[in-house]
Amino acid sequence: MSWISSLVPWQWALFSAVPIGIILLYFLKLRRESVEIPSTYLWARTVEDLHVNSLFQRIRQNLLLFLQLLTVLLAAIALWQPGVRGQASSQGRLVFLLDASASMMATDIEGEENRFEQARKMIRERIDAMEDRETAMLIKFSDRAEVMQSFTSDRGRLRDALNRTQLTNRPTDIVGALQAADGLANPKRSSTSGDVNDIQVADPKPADLLIFSDGGFEDVRDFNVGNLVPQYIAIGSDTPRNVGITAFSADRNVEKPGDAQAFGTIINFGAETESFNVSLYVNGEWRESESLTLEPEEESGLTFSLAGQEDAAAIELRLESSAPGAARDEPLKDDLSIDNFAYAGLRPMRTVSVLLITSGNRPLDLALNTESAAKVCVVEEQDIDFIGTPEYEARLEAGLDDLIIFDRCKPETMPPTNTFFIAELPSDEWSWSSEPGQTILVDIDRTHPLMQYLDLFSILIFEGRSVNGPPGTRELIVGDAGTVLALAPRDGYQDLVLAFEIISEGEDGSAQSNTNWFADRSWPVFLLNVLRHLAGAADASAAPTFMPGDTVRLRVESQLGEVEISRGSGSPDIVRTGASGSVEFVDSDMPGSYRVVAKEKLVDLFSINLFGIRESRIKPRETFELGYETVETAGTIETRREFWRWVLILSLILLAIEWWFYNKRIA
Amino acid sequence: MSTAESISLLSPDLLAKLERLELVSRKVFRGRMKGERRSKRKGQSVEFADFRNYVAGDDLRLIDWNLYARLDQLFLKLFQEEEDLHVYALIDTSESMNFGDPTKLHVAKQMAAALGYIGLCRADRVSVQAMGAEGRRAPVLRGRSGLWKMLDYLDSIKEGDNTSLYESVKDFSLRNSGTGVVVLITDLMDKGGYEAALRMLVGRRMDVYIMHVLSPEEIDPPIRGDRKLIDCEDGDETEITVNAYVLERYKQTLQNFLSSIKAFCSRRSIAYLPVRTDQPVDDVMTKYLRQRGVVR
Repeated sequence: MSWISSLVPWQWALFSAVPIGIILLYFLKLRRESVEIPSTYLWARTVEDLHVNSLFQRIRQNLLLFLQLLTVLLAAIALWQPGVRGQASSQGRLVFLLDASASMMATDIEGEENRFEQARKMIRERIDAMEDRETAMLIKFSDRAEVMQSFTSDRGRLRDALNRTQLTNRPTDIVGALQAADGLANPKRSSTSGDVNDIQVADPKPADLLIFSDGGFEDVRDFNVGNLVPQYIAIGSDTPRNVGITAFSADRNVEKPGDAQAFGTIINFGAETESFNVSLYVNGEWRESESLTLEPEEESGLTFSLAGQEDAAAIELRLESSAPGAARDEPLKDDLSIDNFAYAGLRPMRTVSVLLITSGNRPLDLALNTESAAKVCVVEEQDIDFIGTPEYEARLEAGLDDLIIFDRCKPETMPPTNTFFIAELPSDEWSWSSEPGQTILVDIDRTHPLMQYLDLFSILIFEGRSVNGPPGTRELIVGDAGTVLALAPRDGYQDLVLAFEIISEGEDGSAQSNTNWFADRSWPVFLLNVLRHLAGAADASAAPTFMPGDTVRLRVESQLGEVEISRGSGSPDIVRTGASGSVEFVDSDMPGSYRVVAKEKLVDLFSINLFGIRESRIKPRETFELGYETVETAGTIETRREFWRWVLILSLILLAIEWWFYNKRIA
Repeated sequence: MSTAESISLLSPDLLAKLERLELVSRKVFRGRMKGERRSKRKGQSVEFADFRNYVAGDDLRLIDWNLYARLDQLFLKLFQEEEDLHVYALIDTSESMNFGDPTKLHVAKQMAAALGYIGLCRADRVSVQAMGAEGRRAPVLRGRSGLWKMLDYLDSIKEGDNTSLYESVKDFSLRNSGTGVVVLITDLMDKGGYEAALRMLVGRRMDVYIMHVLSPEEIDPPIRGDRKLIDCEDGDETEITVNAYVLERYKQTLQNFLSSIKAFCSRRSIAYLPVRTDQPVDDVMTKYLRQRGVVR
């Protein structure tokens, strides 16, 4: 039996005055009304009769007092919240990891609003069951971890921290939370372990790691649990219903930019066949619906055509109920509603501007002026001498160019835009990692949009090198000596570096081919990819989509001082633009279509969507990998069985008896 | 004395009814004067009583000559004597008698006056007395003309003599050595008990009647809740919480009390007559007491 006081000491002092007051009231003589009667002879005999069993009579006399004191005592016991908990092997230190990701919104819990509330309830019960020697900390995690309360044995502070936690629309990443817990349970040594003079920063302390989640995260393999004893409490029912949109995008037809298409992917994650309608809304107006029936785990792709959509548009895909009698726009009712909506934006049509700085590169000229390329870009070619001229500086300042291609040359300072360097290193952060020599291509990263549709293994490179980029560099083509094509981020821009020349200059100054790539079909395709994805021509038609909680980075014209970003009809957030027109927007928790407006003119569009199969697959996982361990669901955690309700009911019954008895006495 | 009060004791109608009544004595007593009652004494009435042998000195007029002729012996023929009856009415004047509406004392006075008037009409020797010191100045009356004296005396009786029943009866017995009918009008609420007093009266060969006067307030008390009961005679206090249960107990106690009196009286040939103060005195005298054989 354990007790939890509901009152602070001064409140208890006040409470203890109640029984004292009752007793004092009884000590005070009852103010009886005097009545003169002919003789007390018979009354005295009556009272004598009543006193026959004097002990019983005395109890009868004071029964009210006893009942009142007992009622107060029971109320006091109830205020101490008596409860019983079973035997639990506890490390004395608890780390609560509370999943606050979007999948915890699932409403498949009976009696609770959603999984998150169920998890909070279970944590609250475990906090109530904590013994005095136990300390606990609370970490909330979604796509990032937040320590809500560090180690404390103060249950009140833990409860407060628990009440502060809020559900998010974000995906799940447990690693940050594990690292936060790990830092406290497995403190790192200050230096080497063999050094006897070395003092450890802190003693490693074992702790129970209680993970309250539905398991909608990736297995964590590179994590050593060390002193942590993981315990996974799966939240959610085994047969949830959920149909979710896992992908949705809208893009203009390259051939007919006035027309657009929207693509959606819908998966039934439940265990039963689901029938529903998929409706497309453009700028809030219904455009088209399609009825769909999906078997469990079945996936379906839908394509909607949007003719004559030349202006910017916010496009929304909704799953709607097809049940008989349902209204046309009645949302589909499954256990997770956030993935029943998806948003995409179509930017107004525009072309990208490319500055080519070269001393002459015909293959490049040809590839940038194909019929397809001409539709998406305007190329201006300048000689190498152009770098450093006032006109060049002015161009950069105005932010006119979406991409600058430096062919065998480099600027003094990096321009505030995306760049493509051919056979040259952009900055000191880059370095050559091999000597020039014949290069054979080994691997191509086809998952990257720049590399799509490319088959490069037949090309020859006479002389090439390999490059090392700054941290975050992505290797797109790897040759026998190292990276041949690399993409690296730079302050919101991207730099693409090709490590070999297309056209090299012979000893006599004549142009010579260094590769046969430009003779290959893949050359214009690659440059078109560069225009679309590096220069932003693809972005120019399809508005970007971000995950909830992501930091949204956009570029607008640098002359604009500030922009207004709004979702739906909500009040806009005013965001100041950074250097060369970069805009960062962090309040991105709510899914939806967002409009970026400057001077009452639409500048850009973007959408926030929860496209995560892990979040949509809401059936709780039974096990997950954590380091070298497989953590199985513990089912339930041990909770405290509380008796205060019963004690309170007993107290009320006593009060009723006391009232009945009092009435009987004076009746 | 106020006439109004006297009249309130006995109404003219009641007086007329009372004149036709007669007190019944279950015993035959010797009287003091010639009266209308059969006496133990042999005397000169028309009713034959007995014969006895002649002894020298007897009145020759009483010799039954017919018997002498037949038996040749002298016998005297004896006749019943008719004498008066001693009727005492004792009124309890303790404080407790001053309760009720009308008060028990008032009802007791009415009863005493009525009984006294019946006695006066029948030429009995009537003495209506308050118990205690007041009783010493009570007149002994005979004849109808004594009514006004009796009423005067009754009017002068005030409550407040809290002498115990036993002491009062003892005082009465010492003052009145003769026998006769004693009507004790009291509420018997004496913490010293009533038994000794009654035993003394019976022991003096009195024909004892008890008129037990109770007010409705005593039979069904209108008291509820937490009360401090104060005895008006001795100031004794009893704190009590009166509820249905206690009231039930009280009524039970009262019934036990009445039954014990009744049993005590019947064992000693005492006529026990409970009277409620809310009963009209006419009904009590002309119906209730006739039914009980007290008057005829």
